[in-house]
Amino acid sequence: MPERRYLIASAVVVLLLALLPLGGSRYAIDVATEVLIYVLFALSLNVLLGFTGNVSFGHAAYFAIGGYACAILLTTYGWPLLFALPAAVVLAGTVAAVVGYFCVRLTQIYFAMLTLAFAMLVWGVAFKWKEVTGGDDGFTGIKLPAMLGHYTSYFWFTLAVVAAAIAALWVICHSAFGLTLIAVRENSVRTGFIGVDTRRMRWAAFTVAGTFAGLAGALFGMYHRGMYIENAYWTESAQVLIMVLLGGIHSFVGPIIGAAVLYLLQIFTNQYTTYWPTVLGLILLVIVLVLPDGLIGLMARLRAYRQAWRRP
Amino acid sequence: MKYSVMLAALGVLGAGTALAQQPPIKIGVLYPLTGGGAVYGVPAMTGHQLAVEELNAKGGMMGRKIESVERDDKLNPATASSTMKELITKDKVDIVLGGLASSVGLAMSEVSKQEKVVYISTIPKSIQITTDKLHKYVFRTAANTDQEGDTMAMLVGKNKLTKLCHLELDYAYGNDLEAGILKALPKYAPDAKVVLTLKPKLGATDFNPFIPQVMSAGCDGVISGLWGPHFVSWVKQAAPLGFFSKIKWISGGEIGSHEIAGELKGDYPDNVISNTYELWYTSNDPSHKEFQARLAKKLNTQETPQWAVLGYIGVMYAAAAIEKAQSTDPDKVSAALEGLSIGTPVGKLTIDAKSHQANIGQFWGPMVKKPDRAYRMMEPAEYIQPK
Repeated sequence: MPERRYLIASAVVVLLLALLPLGGSRYAIDVATEVLIYVLFALSLNVLLGFTGNVSFGHAAYFAIGGYACAILLTTYGWPLLFALPAAVVLAGTVAAVVGYFCVRLTQIYFAMLTLAFAMLVWGVAFKWKEVTGGDDGFTGIKLPAMLGHYTSYFWFTLAVVAAAIAALWVICHSAFGLTLIAVRENSVRTGFIGVDTRRMRWAAFTVAGTFAGLAGALFGMYHRGMYIENAYWTESAQVLIMVLLGGIHSFVGPIIGAAVLYLLQIFTNQYTTYWPTVLGLILLVIVLVLPDGLIGLMARLRAYRQAWRRP
Repeated sequence: MKYSVMLAALGVLGAGTALAQQPPIKIGVLYPLTGGGAVYGVPAMTGHQLAVEELNAKGGMMGRKIESVERDDKLNPATASSTMKELITKDKVDIVLGGLASSVGLAMSEVSKQEKVVYISTIPKSIQITTDKLHKYVFRTAANTDQEGDTMAMLVGKNKLTKLCHLELDYAYGNDLEAGILKALPKYAPDAKVVLTLKPKLGATDFNPFIPQVMSAGCDGVISGLWGPHFVSWVKQAAPLGFFSKIKWISGGEIGSHEIAGELKGDYPDNVISNTYELWYTSNDPSHKEFQARLAKKLNTQETPQWAVLGYIGVMYAAAAIEKAQSTDPDKVSAALEGLSIGTPVGKLTIDAKSHQANIGQFWGPMVKKPDRAYRMMEPAEYIQPK
């Protein structure tokens, strides 16, 4: 169980967010919905990146599979959301398990390259399978149940799903399984010697990451009422990677902050200038040179300085 | 006397402040302003701005100023979708224009449907926008792939071509254009047969695997949808082999525009018949001259790009519809756009009440050498409008 004060703090945050529609700003609700989706996406990647220490360059693939599957089941086949959403998540998880089976045989840069290759394969399928996915026209006109048609109800739905998913991820990351993943990250050889099947652990982490990315993708598609092949492209994988790095990979909360900060920064920059890529480049530079632990690391360092000051 | 003057002054002041307090009419617009689409998006945005400036100089719409809220769509449909929502919910725009890629056009149309805000597709040609995915709030002032394919099929018939090689880029526009051509071919050229179809990738730069296949297929004509840089690469790789001496190259994708002619200059091959939305040196309407002069002044070059006119027409249609509706209410603007005719620099256009598609035409013609110019020009340029 998490410490009580953290539990209370999380509950307060969720409650405050749930009250957001009372503010009356439609724009704030829309932005919050998208931030929540990216938060989940970034957190899912961190199971693999931060906890297991495996860099994936193809995480957008599972996001896209979840999004497309949910969209197609809802719209083409007319499934109710209650079945379509879980089915999409299961499919994303299954594909992640299959791809992961091959990827975890490799480590380091070879692992990263293979994840990228598989992700581009998924992109290729979305692009070429025009009858089903709509090809590069995208899959638009996703049918949502009338209950979620209003932006406020969709926001609450997203908040509930994302909060539940974050709680589930917290439990997974802090379970014996999660601690084993950290052990694999810290010293894979030694962990192997004490009897842990490290490959299997990494495979499980890969599957968990893909499953939750699929859930984020499904929420994203329904929010936009459309899925596009760009969502499966490697630039999307890179973006979520930067979100995680910005927040800080060695903490559970890091990616949440990273995703929110990066996404908000992007939309606000876009309102004033078209030079977002420049801003993104600068952010990346700062992370690599000054903030290897991300914003969370920065906060920890600031706290340490303050304590050092207080001491006589 | 004194009182009446003061009263009158007060009245004027009051009227003045009332007018000033009238909020502006907000037009939201998205074009790709960075990355690969910027070559087209930036000139389109210039045309858009020109139209807004002109309207404001004339006093705006319904006595209200026009404010244009401009954003980069990054050629990415998901970005376009979020940004368009932001324009509607945060900036409270009354109407949205723009887009370039088919997928971006479809994404924007989806937002327009959800948010019940009128969207005018000014460049995206995807046929779906005005067929399968048509709804009350979406309109198109660009051409579509069926219109373009229809004209290309007509030109095949006119040039009495019988053995055709078909080149299309393998993505939405290429596939849609192919369907448009094949649909119209039996009507105009019943004897013509497509003997070879090749589909290079979008963004391809190496056409060496394709060129010998086309040359050995024995076609007397090529119908092509290779646009912009694809056509330029094809020409640079195929022309030295004598490719263009034996065949007619009938092409969509606006490679008859001055931008392409100016880029290829002396390398522009013979036997090309193509299209463009606008030509700075030719006109089919008296108002074109003035439009082109203002655009030339704004861009500081006499040889203005064709894309500007599309951005310009979008704004003119939005203004005319709001003026006609005497309201910015989307339902009234949508109703006003149906069947609306306006004069534009490329002649009078009408938006069909049912399909929401404007009957915008294109200039079609052969690209010929000019003794006093470094680049080729379209001559004679025939303005072909869909029936």
